[in-house]
Amino acid sequence: MRERVLVAMSGGVDSSVAAAMLVREGYDVVGATMKLGCHGDELPDRPCCSLESVNDARRICDQLGVPHYVLNLETAFGRDVVTDFVEEYARGRTPIPCVRCNTFTKFRDLLHKADAIDARWIATGHYARVRDGVLHRGLDPAKDQSYFLWGIARPVLARMLLPVGGQTKPETRAIAHALSLELIAEKPDSQDICFVPDGDHAKVIARELGADTPSLSRGPFVRRDGTVVGEHTGYARFTVGQRRGVPGGFREPMYVVEIQPATRAVVIGPRAELLGKGVVAREVNWLVPAPPVGSEVEVQVRHRARPARGTLVHVDGDAIEIALEEAVSAITPGQSLVLYDGSIVLGGGVIERSRRALPVRAA
Amino acid sequence: MPDFVYLDHAATTPVRPEVLEVMQPFFGPRFGNPSSMHRWGREARTALDEARERVGRALGAASDEVVFTSCGTEADNMALLGVWRARSASGRRAVVTTPIEHKAVLAAAHQIGREGGEERLVAMQSSGLVDDESFDALISDDVAVCSVMWVNNEIGVLQDVSSLAKRANARGVVFHTDAVQAFGKVEVDARITPFDVLSISGHKIGAPKGIGALYIRRGTAIEPLMFGGTQDRGRRPGTENVAMAVGLARAAELAVIERVHEWAALEIRRDRLEAALLSCIPDAVIHGRGSPRAPHIMNISVPGVDSESMLMALDLRGIACSAGSACQSGSITASHVLHAIGVSPDLASSAIRMSLGSMTTDACIERGVEVFPTLVAKARRLTPA
Repeated sequence: MRERVLVAMSGGVDSSVAAAMLVREGYDVVGATMKLGCHGDELPDRPCCSLESVNDARRICDQLGVPHYVLNLETAFGRDVVTDFVEEYARGRTPIPCVRCNTFTKFRDLLHKADAIDARWIATGHYARVRDGVLHRGLDPAKDQSYFLWGIARPVLARMLLPVGGQTKPETRAIAHALSLELIAEKPDSQDICFVPDGDHAKVIARELGADTPSLSRGPFVRRDGTVVGEHTGYARFTVGQRRGVPGGFREPMYVVEIQPATRAVVIGPRAELLGKGVVAREVNWLVPAPPVGSEVEVQVRHRARPARGTLVHVDGDAIEIALEEAVSAITPGQSLVLYDGSIVLGGGVIERSRRALPVRAA
Repeated sequence: MPDFVYLDHAATTPVRPEVLEVMQPFFGPRFGNPSSMHRWGREARTALDEARERVGRALGAASDEVVFTSCGTEADNMALLGVWRARSASGRRAVVTTPIEHKAVLAAAHQIGREGGEERLVAMQSSGLVDDESFDALISDDVAVCSVMWVNNEIGVLQDVSSLAKRANARGVVFHTDAVQAFGKVEVDARITPFDVLSISGHKIGAPKGIGALYIRRGTAIEPLMFGGTQDRGRRPGTENVAMAVGLARAAELAVIERVHEWAALEIRRDRLEAALLSCIPDAVIHGRGSPRAPHIMNISVPGVDSESMLMALDLRGIACSAGSACQSGSITASHVLHAIGVSPDLASSAIRMSLGSMTTDACIERGVEVFPTLVAKARRLTPA
């Protein structure tokens, strides 16, 4: 009996090729597109935000001769991802909704749908690899998406198939052409967050929390010493390390170095003030047996950043602290701290804060 | 036992061979435009007039009381908007309908609201029937048109259209009923039931998708939705779809001939299906079960079993059912019908509609009875209540 796999299909080239590869390998493939939001019902002159993508996924499945379903995960996605997204901005942080979507929507809620149809496996078009229940970086460093996958419950790894993770994007496109999936073969990579289509996250915050919410209201630009140096139109429009929109007229270029929601202050400073020697993360999830305090690890504090060397210096419940060998710039609360050992993803967490001074090393 | 079981006849039905056969010549030699004066035109015109007459006969109506439309949705839109626009200038600015209507009616009523009319929704009983007191309170002298569907497409509940129509007429209100699911099941006869306007759809009765009809009682003022030529007395301009009209006429005739027998046959199978499912799943709820119902629609909720997963699992076993109403993307959204009759969101999220028809054999029912409870048991093992 062929093993059944539920493939999460966005209508893009990666997940389409993933499905096609699994069909070719002899799996009993069932395609599913998650419907995560829809404004089409309320605004009749606007189609569903991702209607074209859904249609593309359906046509690819038809071409592959496999069933396709559109699954309405809107309520759960709204609760687990969109609500958290706007609340994180309100807390002065810069969230990565894709991480929570992977953790909660794709590899938990969608997995329940896989259970319901007796699917042994769940597959996506992510550029990462799972071998023997261990998550590895994607083989193509230019496309590696392992940074977004640290939150998955560890037992789920044993059920994951990531067919494109062992190849490069051009190879994926070549397979799409070779399998006559011309419909999607040259689709551009998606850049935006799916529910923030025009890249304007403030619009989403205004819709969810109201246009007069504190994070979108006027507040001061301040220096580290508290000196007010200007006014901004909402701290949610800023992220640590940002230059755009920051007042000029200083001797050196100024960056956002911190956001203080209690006073709506956006703290700015020169590049040196961005440097952190340590990082604290919460909501930590391990994808391997938890390493002991004192372990040397490689860490990444943002997608595509060069890994930095560090040491696990403190563990307290679901919080950890890493001491960095060399200072890292723009460690941003809300982003992910992901721990690696070479290509292996050890685990990760949500960045709580950076430490500017080196923490005292545990004995 | 059959590998594939189609239990979604309320969504659509296959075109009957008898219907396809009578349509065929109009895709070939009899291709003429009914408005042309030459031989080809005359042939087409004769066929169209005859089709109109035959649809009229199937509805107990005269041929000039029948307008062909492209679908049930167009018929519903024309009924509500057309009648309201014709009457609103005389001070009748309200429209009354129920919250369990098809979206075609609800959205048309909403459009009336945007055009300055007043939308009024009748309260529903939990049985799925109209609340009579609410209906009578809303039907007043300022109402232009009232629309109550004869058979609900999700739960099959049958409204007392005769009584409602009489009460509407007594207040000078034009009464429309969406009979898309009723026609071919209940007796639809304009000489017996005093509805003023009535919609039917071809593809629910074995005609193709793309054809419907609106019955308009003589003397009922109605505005067209589109403007153009003088076809159909200007009520529905545009070159007539002769082949489809001929197909609808044949399907409607067959539906009337077979109606009583069809009802009995469907009722036996539906009752068998319901009884078997309820005996395997004692806590299952069949919506509208205690009310008068058409025999081809049953809607079952199994507490705690999510309908989306269930529909997938059924489909992968070759059984086609449906739930709620589909959005543009094809995903399921919560049923406004179940909400309107007071079903809890949890129970509504587990609703599955099975609808019987020409493709439903006893073996199909047996297959459903075998597979459905198995899947329920499995789903419950996955998510213990």
